[in-house]
Amino acid sequence: MSRTPKQVGLLVDVTRCTGCNRCVEACAEANRLGQPDVTLQQSPDGLSARRWASIVESPAGGFVRKFCRHCLEPACVSVCPVGAMYRTPEGVVLYDSRKCMGCRYCMMACPFGIPRYEWESSAPLVRKCTLCYDRLKDGGLPACVEACPEGVLAFGERSELLALARRRLQEAAPLYLPKIYGEHEIGGAAVMYISHVPLDFLGYHGEPGEEPMPELTWDWLAKVPAVALGVAGLMTGLLWIIGRRIQAEASRQARLPARPIEEQK
Amino acid sequence: MSQTTRNWIKDGLWAVVFAGLVASVIRFAGGLGAATGLNDSAPWGLWIAFKLVFVALAGGGFTLAAMVYIFRLERYRPILRRAILVALLGYGAFIVSLIFDLGLPWHIYMPVLNWQHHSVMFEIAWCVMLYFSVLVLEFSPAILEHHWFRRPPFGMLLRWLHRLTLPLIVAGIVLSTLHQSSLGSLFLIMPHRVHPLWYSPWLPYLFFTSAIAAGMTALIVEGFFVERWFGRGLDLDLLARLGKGAVLPLGLYLALRLGDLWLRGVLPRALDGSWQSILFLAEIVAGGFLPLVLFSLRKVRRSREGLLTGAGLVILGITSQRMSLSLFTMYRAEGTSYVPSLGETLIAFAIPAAAALLYLLFAETLPLFGKQAEGPGNEAPVVPSPGAAAFSIRDTWGRGIAARRSGFAVIVVALLLPVLSLKSQTPVSPVTAAVGWEVLEIDGNRSGYAVDFPHLEHQERLMNESTGESNCRECHHLDLPGDRATACSACHAEYYRPVSIFDHSFHRQALGGNDSCLECHDPEHTALTGTICRDCHEDMVPGEGQAAFSMAALSYKDALHGRCLGCHEREALAQSRPELVLCSTCHSLAGQSPVTFDD
Repeated sequence: MSRTPKQVGLLVDVTRCTGCNRCVEACAEANRLGQPDVTLQQSPDGLSARRWASIVESPAGGFVRKFCRHCLEPACVSVCPVGAMYRTPEGVVLYDSRKCMGCRYCMMACPFGIPRYEWESSAPLVRKCTLCYDRLKDGGLPACVEACPEGVLAFGERSELLALARRRLQEAAPLYLPKIYGEHEIGGAAVMYISHVPLDFLGYHGEPGEEPMPELTWDWLAKVPAVALGVAGLMTGLLWIIGRRIQAEASRQARLPARPIEEQK
Repeated sequence: MSQTTRNWIKDGLWAVVFAGLVASVIRFAGGLGAATGLNDSAPWGLWIAFKLVFVALAGGGFTLAAMVYIFRLERYRPILRRAILVALLGYGAFIVSLIFDLGLPWHIYMPVLNWQHHSVMFEIAWCVMLYFSVLVLEFSPAILEHHWFRRPPFGMLLRWLHRLTLPLIVAGIVLSTLHQSSLGSLFLIMPHRVHPLWYSPWLPYLFFTSAIAAGMTALIVEGFFVERWFGRGLDLDLLARLGKGAVLPLGLYLALRLGDLWLRGVLPRALDGSWQSILFLAEIVAGGFLPLVLFSLRKVRRSREGLLTGAGLVILGITSQRMSLSLFTMYRAEGTSYVPSLGETLIAFAIPAAAALLYLLFAETLPLFGKQAEGPGNEAPVVPSPGAAAFSIRDTWGRGIAARRSGFAVIVVALLLPVLSLKSQTPVSPVTAAVGWEVLEIDGNRSGYAVDFPHLEHQERLMNESTGESNCRECHHLDLPGDRATACSACHAEYYRPVSIFDHSFHRQALGGNDSCLECHDPEHTALTGTICRDCHEDMVPGEGQAAFSMAALSYKDALHGRCLGCHEREALAQSRPELVLCSTCHSLAGQSPVTFDD
């Protein structure tokens, strides 16, 4: 029996980031993304179909790497009508362009606004960070982790990274906010942050809550079979009852004046 | 309505369709980016909003089917077939819009192969697919009754369809219930995008009830239209009953909507005076309660004006709800915006225009008006000869319609092509982040004219100068605790004025309120007796070239100028390159700095 692979993770230590951008360049190189296709004015956070990661300035100062969080219960995967967005056994969220029909629901549902679209293409695809899944498969590290000169990014098993994060929070307590971003919010994510500045601004509009996003729709979808059967049953029942009453009424009407009492025996 | 007016209206519809066809060439040849204003911050736009409206207006199909076949309200049978036609066209418009909106429309069959029970979109895909088929089957008897099909195989088909009627009706009601509500559920997962006044965990129920109300009122409007267009007598009594019937779903919708907002404590936001709250109030009052009152008053709903006004208001209100939810009030990422492009708008309107033409085609050629519709006492109906102007070759003026229409087409194409090739304006971001690319666009005063700062070149240059190590600190001096490279604008927050970067109230609170003044201000509390930051924050080191650490940060402009010019002046002297200190070196019109480090 094969062992289930461990959930991988990536820890970002915001305090160490100098915003040198080498991880972004390494990402572009490793994924052959070419030159960025949008200006800062079109994409304030720097993400685009050709830039799967970017360094953004926190409103409170400090540089924060913005990229896919690889959520444990991803909104994008749950909303995809065709299974083009999926989660690998290692917990990496990937995209299969052969299935995608381009409805862009994943882009709407992502609470961090991560997936981007090839708007200029006539056969556009959704693009986002893959955590360099092909490199991981070959036993390597994500390109950004390899490129970072300051040790901002740590890759490994998620449980070990959580321990590492807790250790750092403990050892250099005054430096960090006492929180591991990505540990619990919306069900947790493979990518986690520890930081000296609040990271709420990474949310698309406000910080996501604790509840995993898919549950917002699951509450309704779970009712769908019952609603379908209920409505079908109700309609058939009504059809039958009302039909019978109309029939009974009609035959009563037909019977009453026409037939004399003797014939009813 | 005179034949000429009818012709003009049809020509207008054809012109819109032509314009949409021109735009659709751009859409499919150049992609969504070329044809629409959609962007990463607005992946869904006008087309999605219109689709939600089409389906709402098509809600009359299953409502009337239920009323006639399930509840046996036989008096509505005369308009049932038209209700199904309106539904068919509404769903047809939905599907055509979808083909425009999907990035890879040739993958539209994928939901059939890959089942995803956790996706609302998957459920909608299946329901729409099945319900559209049901509608086609429900409507096909009308087509098969046409004299072209009075032949044996069609007769048998017709008998089979009649036998299937009841199962089809029940299936149609089930499928409609599911996906009308699921259209609302699409937005459940995006509380981060939907405005709180439109978001609700009860969105499925809101969409279901509002679709019934919108569908019924759409049929009222359609009844008035049929009277004007075909000169048919108006069965005001029937339409007024329909209006009365719409009170229930409309009232339920309003109660659910306001009840949910009230229960969750969001309702006060309706009075906060923002434009969203005004839109919300207008939508609820003018598009909800007002028609509710109009329909509830027997006298009003039995008057032509009252009935039509009420129906129009309901449609406006529900259109507003769906468009506001999915378009107007959606949160966009800071600094981005979405304005539908011209081509996008043309396509959005061309689809319902095409549906309207199809409606006229069917209404003119098929037996849509039951015998009952021509009530006694009506003046002789002016039935236009089948296909009079919409689809025959010659119109009443004897001219070739095909020729006139192609003339229209040529004019539309000639007018549109140059306009369509213009790109919509890119939104201007207030954020001028000094990160991200080799060359940074620094536009401190957001004037739209940026200095292109070759960041990478400076980085490499400064690295070579020192001992092979990077020297980011030359510019990014270390100020904030725990940060190695604070962005310039973090402290130099104002463009022209120095700003205070010392948060007095924060420190007062952190040190213990008003008792703590003497901790920093010794011997008495005046502005002159403050302790310098470094006395407490040892890691707050003044950057290189900074005389002292003070409470005030220079203006962004002065800070950047100071930072650049210090080096540039030194190097201009050292290398005898006076151009290094010219304004135009950085502030060049072309954007690119003409000076490189190579020479």
